[in-house]
Amino acid sequence: MTAKEPVLELRRITKSYPGVVALNAVDFAVYENEIVGLVGENGAGKSTLMKILIGLIQPDEGSYTLRGEPIGFRDPASATRFGVGMVFQDGSLVPNLSIMENLFLCHEMGFRRFGFLSKRAMREAAYSVLAAVKVSSDLDIPIADTTPAVRQMVEIARLLWLSKLYKQKNPILILDEPTTVLTESERETLFSILGEIKSQASIVLISHRLQEIVENSDRIVILKDGKNVTELAAEHVSISSIENMMVGHSFEADRYREDEQVEPGKETVLRVQKLRKRGAFEAIDFSVRRREIVSLVGLVGSGKEAVCRCIAGLDKPDGGSINLGGKKLPAGSPSEAVHSGLGHIPIDRRSEGLALGMTVAENVNLLVLDRLKVAGFISPAREKKNAMRCIEECRIKSPSSSTMCANLSGGNQQKTVIAKWLSSQIQLLVLDHPTRGVDVGAKEEIYKLIRKLAHDGIGMIIMCDTLEEDIGLCSRMLILRDGRLVREINCPPYNKPGPSDIIGSIV
Amino acid sequence: MPNNVTSKSSARWFSTSATKGQQLFRRSGVGGQLISLIIVMGIFAIGTKGKYLYWANLQVILSLAAIPAIIAIGLHQVVVLGGIDLSVEGVVALCVVFVGFLAHNKFNSNDVGLWIIPITVGIGGLAGVINGLLNTKLRIPSFISTLGMSWVLWGLAVFVSKGQTTPLLDSPLRGFVNGYVLGIPDLALVAIVLFMIIQIIQDGTRFGRYLYAIGGDEVLAAQAGVKIDRTKIIVFGIAGLFYGLSALFLAVELDSAQAITGNNLLFPAVTAVAVGGVALTGGIGGAKNAALGALIVTALNDGLILLNVNPYAQEAVNGFVLVAAVALTIDRKKLGFIK
Repeated sequence: MTAKEPVLELRRITKSYPGVVALNAVDFAVYENEIVGLVGENGAGKSTLMKILIGLIQPDEGSYTLRGEPIGFRDPASATRFGVGMVFQDGSLVPNLSIMENLFLCHEMGFRRFGFLSKRAMREAAYSVLAAVKVSSDLDIPIADTTPAVRQMVEIARLLWLSKLYKQKNPILILDEPTTVLTESERETLFSILGEIKSQASIVLISHRLQEIVENSDRIVILKDGKNVTELAAEHVSISSIENMMVGHSFEADRYREDEQVEPGKETVLRVQKLRKRGAFEAIDFSVRRREIVSLVGLVGSGKEAVCRCIAGLDKPDGGSINLGGKKLPAGSPSEAVHSGLGHIPIDRRSEGLALGMTVAENVNLLVLDRLKVAGFISPAREKKNAMRCIEECRIKSPSSSTMCANLSGGNQQKTVIAKWLSSQIQLLVLDHPTRGVDVGAKEEIYKLIRKLAHDGIGMIIMCDTLEEDIGLCSRMLILRDGRLVREINCPPYNKPGPSDIIGSIV
Repeated sequence: MPNNVTSKSSARWFSTSATKGQQLFRRSGVGGQLISLIIVMGIFAIGTKGKYLYWANLQVILSLAAIPAIIAIGLHQVVVLGGIDLSVEGVVALCVVFVGFLAHNKFNSNDVGLWIIPITVGIGGLAGVINGLLNTKLRIPSFISTLGMSWVLWGLAVFVSKGQTTPLLDSPLRGFVNGYVLGIPDLALVAIVLFMIIQIIQDGTRFGRYLYAIGGDEVLAAQAGVKIDRTKIIVFGIAGLFYGLSALFLAVELDSAQAITGNNLLFPAVTAVAVGGVALTGGIGGAKNAALGALIVTALNDGLILLNVNPYAQEAVNGFVLVAAVALTIDRKKLGFIK
């Protein structure tokens, strides 16, 4: 690309796990003062590559050069001493320690006075370090009580400070999906700060939001199936061309599979009457029929999330009734809801939707164990058979049915959650942002699964990441504003309203 | 990027400052514990028509609280790490038997004089280090490794001493152990000094920082570069040193050495740790919590004795207090599930 020497260069890196080649002779370089966007589908090898970069895992083959010297890191702690550090998606700060303690953890030598740590010196340093990333906060708050945005900035500040401490010019910061946990305005601030940091550091940006990659990076590297696809300058690149290179084939013109959208049935599955919750939404009435996908649309604070939580039994409404298949659901009981045939795919699949420490088979069979019993005991053979059927039907990319869910990519975890509900006999499914944090390829497959669920007779309530996705998927749309149902729009296939027809009702 | 200048000036990240409640229950907060101590003492003061607050009784409380406090100050650091140390009784039994063998006694001609202090404390420390090694190198959960150690050491103590009681002869420490400075029992002063040393280490040194980092999240702490195994072994070792010291004091106090001296030491210490507000989930609570916990538990039992409560009922009260303390101090909403 440029004539300059790269600060960091990986050459022909190969890493395989039993059954999968995660990286196959991948080259990756980072130059001074740039933001590199790293994109690829889930499972394309981005995370593996970054983990090798910081020494969390070791490559099988390949060379690693930093500032002209060959190098290999034993662990992330030694990588930070050489100015290479990563801000993880889940955060890597210790929750019970304060902001200040986390900033300097393990590198407090400079603050020792007569063997004891000088709080005053640490405080002064912390203020100046945090000012660079625009955090002004009580330094003694435990990290657990701060917002994700603050945590992220503290991590960035820590890495910058460490590179100065160990006199490393031009540190390399790796940000893994930094914006998924941020609000719109926080996102803007993050990128303005990254723009400033660029003058003294290089940044590797991993994101599924191609828009922000194109807007903020100087160079884009695309991985697919553990191989380099290409790298290109970020100027004048269209998002659709990146998408094509990531997936390897062009999108079908119809992303949302309108041709598979089925006519809703006559029977009402869910009837919500005069449901209300103070401070969240006012009395609302609506119903969902068999095979119908009803999309709830509205801004944050419109009350749509609270409505879904009340239906799923996670929140207790102040009044009104919820009828599922003619039976009244008790308020505020998620387990009763599940027993009555209501499924819920939460926004945070890691903590709510899946048992990450259990295998794919255990997860998909969780709700149908009764059906797998032979003479009162769960039959391993039946269990395996059912799991394999689910894996195949839902196209879960997993080495085997006994793989731990924690080892699957985000998209495949989500497919596992859907498979779990698909194999149990539910009447209604609430989907809370089912494609959040999932790459384009997996998104398509999730859309297909949603169509399949509808085809099987399940009614759905869905909240999507984008308005376009809502319109594309749903058969009917309910628009909420300030806790009130303001408009209802039918979305039959091939006759859908455009976003511009709707946006006026939302804001 | 829209208008860089405005976004720069408005680009302020912030987090809410801590609430009163959070401040009260911060890592080493003792507000709640002080209040409960005052309430306990107030109730007994009324119940005994003021007798409870006589200086003589307060002296009794201080001297009774000393040994549980020393043990709890050693033990609580293991709990802060996220583990547990159940080896107290075995360690003390073995140390006491060594005191009976090496100090001036009725059965043999050994007399190591004041060397008995480093020897006993050293044996305790060694046992603690073994606990640490079992936990870190063999990766045995501390719950099991220390429980096993307790029985191994207890068996060893009984075996070596043949179950005998060895009377001690004019121990050079007798005066100190039973003495007072300005009306405060010497052992209580030792407990206070140890508490201050550990508290200062926890607040002001890198070791202290690592202790809490491991308790908060061991994996993340390791990623940041904390030497996990070393820190853990030191913590178990310190706990052992404290148990050894307690064993020595107990033997001198009783003027005799027998393995059963170690019995019934674990429960009060664990109760003290829990009542003091050290979270059993790790990462929260410090030496002051352990010391204060020991004081609360002792003050409670002393009051029950003054009120002539049936001793069996007293034990039931203690069990209730342990469970209630854990129920009140752990923020169980954050745990998600309980193992």
